[in-house]
Amino acid sequence: MSQNSSAVISPWAASAEEGGRARFAVPATPRPPSSATADRPVRGRLELGIKVPNGKSIASTQFHQGALRILRPHYLDESGQVCYVMVNPGGAYLGADLYVIDVEVGDGAKLLLTTQSATKIYRTPGSFAEQRMTLRLGEGAQLELAPDQLIAYREASYRQNTLITLTPSSSLVMAEVITPGWSPDGASFRYEELRLRTEIHVEAGGGTELLALDNLLIRPSLNDVTGMGFMEGRSHLGSLVVVDSRVDQALADELHALSAGHDAYTGVSLTASLGGTTGLVLRSLSDSTEELNRLLGACTALLRGQWYGQAPLDLRKY
Amino acid sequence: MPNTATSSGAGAPAGEGGRARPQALPILASSDRGPRASGPLARPATPRPPSPAAAAAGGYQLALQQLTDSALPTGAFAHSLGFETYIERGLVHDEASFGVWLSAFVGQQLTYSDGVAIRFLFEGADVGELDSLLSAQLLPRQLREASVKMGGRLLEIGDEVFPSPELAVYRELVTTGRAAGHQPLAFAVVARSLGVPLPEALAAYLFAAVTSLTQNAVRAIPLGQNAGQRLLRKASDDVAAAVERIGRLAPDDFGAVSPGLEISQMRHERQRARMFMS
Repeated sequence: MSQNSSAVISPWAASAEEGGRARFAVPATPRPPSSATADRPVRGRLELGIKVPNGKSIASTQFHQGALRILRPHYLDESGQVCYVMVNPGGAYLGADLYVIDVEVGDGAKLLLTTQSATKIYRTPGSFAEQRMTLRLGEGAQLELAPDQLIAYREASYRQNTLITLTPSSSLVMAEVITPGWSPDGASFRYEELRLRTEIHVEAGGGTELLALDNLLIRPSLNDVTGMGFMEGRSHLGSLVVVDSRVDQALADELHALSAGHDAYTGVSLTASLGGTTGLVLRSLSDSTEELNRLLGACTALLRGQWYGQAPLDLRKY
Repeated sequence: MPNTATSSGAGAPAGEGGRARPQALPILASSDRGPRASGPLARPATPRPPSPAAAAAGGYQLALQQLTDSALPTGAFAHSLGFETYIERGLVHDEASFGVWLSAFVGQQLTYSDGVAIRFLFEGADVGELDSLLSAQLLPRQLREASVKMGGRLLEIGDEVFPSPELAVYRELVTTGRAAGHQPLAFAVVARSLGVPLPEALAAYLFAAVTSLTQNAVRAIPLGQNAGQRLLRKASDDVAAAVERIGRLAPDDFGAVSPGLEISQMRHERQRARMFMS
């Protein structure tokens, strides 16, 4: 399922590239093989199914293999929301590594999924590192996805494909921070390429419809990404994506007002509505992971308080 | 349609076929006389087939010009697609700074969203599917609304002026609420039905977008008319590079956004004093 669901979402997709090359008579540039066809080893696999048997959410299925582990579940408050922490014992993603994560949050279940530490992408000579994540949310299910920041090192190339399917009554909150990377000489943006592509589908009327496609492609090796029209002179990028039937313009305005108190350049907007649910996207540029975490934390604190009656998230990493 | 025998230079707009010689226009008008026209510029010696430019003029060239003319009433004059936010912040304030924004806009937004959508449509992708991809990918609300607003006008005009079965299908999807009706797709459906080759359609679409944005910047910043023309000439390199790049992009690339452009488009929703709807 997650193997072939990566990024290609339409039957025409596979042939489009070929057709385009022929038509434009452009010499085929060497590209890494597409994620759908690449014969690459699965370096780590994680499967998690969350149910709520008696008011407290808990994993009903759990499987891990290779360089992905999960810590014992814990509960941060009395809400019944279970918190799982993903761990990469190898410490980093390397070239041609493929990580597959498959999570299902059953009807009414509540999951907070985070990481133990930053996701680090080391040099990836030859081929990119890749994470394919499939998330499914049932009726009334709630998922908070709060990974640590992403750090790409010099000459790193990384693709993150996230495919989310939810119902109009599900509640999704995901926050993410991308740093300018790290290189020995201290210069920023020395990685090759970062692709973070997220599709959010809503089950409506017997089928599923695409609500949002968030496709972030940062390629410092090809273009200057630091200036006006891209990073606007800032170094860090934060994103918050919320899908919930309670998302409305008033919430967007509230989060926008909240962003004003931060040293960050922030925009908030709403997706179209599908099947009675709506997406909200907040995008922010700043100069530090801490500042963006403060902003994203303030936003999720507001949502947790208003919607779930939960206190602000306090993850003490251990 | 046989036309003037005087045009030379493939790809040159038909109206300039006579290379600025004033006689060109009357000859163009007398197209019924065919390739052996005996106007002052015609070569009387041997009959020859219409030049490529003349053939194109008879085929899609003039239609494409009409479709991409900035006078086409799609309402493009009302949209900055985010640059007004940069004006408000003082970052876009003159010819050079607008040029930087325009170059980023062509290389990102117009390449990865509009351009790739047009290409995929030409390559046979389903218009309804592309429409929903665009709706999902244009995350800033005003940008999505701008695309649908201008797309809707283009569909209406196209229906009256360049009707085709393909356009009727897309209009039907839109009027029955199964598609939003995005500008690049409305354009692509019409251009494809007219037989415009993809690279020409892309170049024309991108340059039309660049032209209306530049005209809007000339009014808003404001800039001199000649500055606007200099910007357009410079932007044609960006357009050519974008056409080339669009041909090499893969489906995964569709909708790749620049965070800065996107945030500015989002922030425009809350800008107090503004000339533009986006």
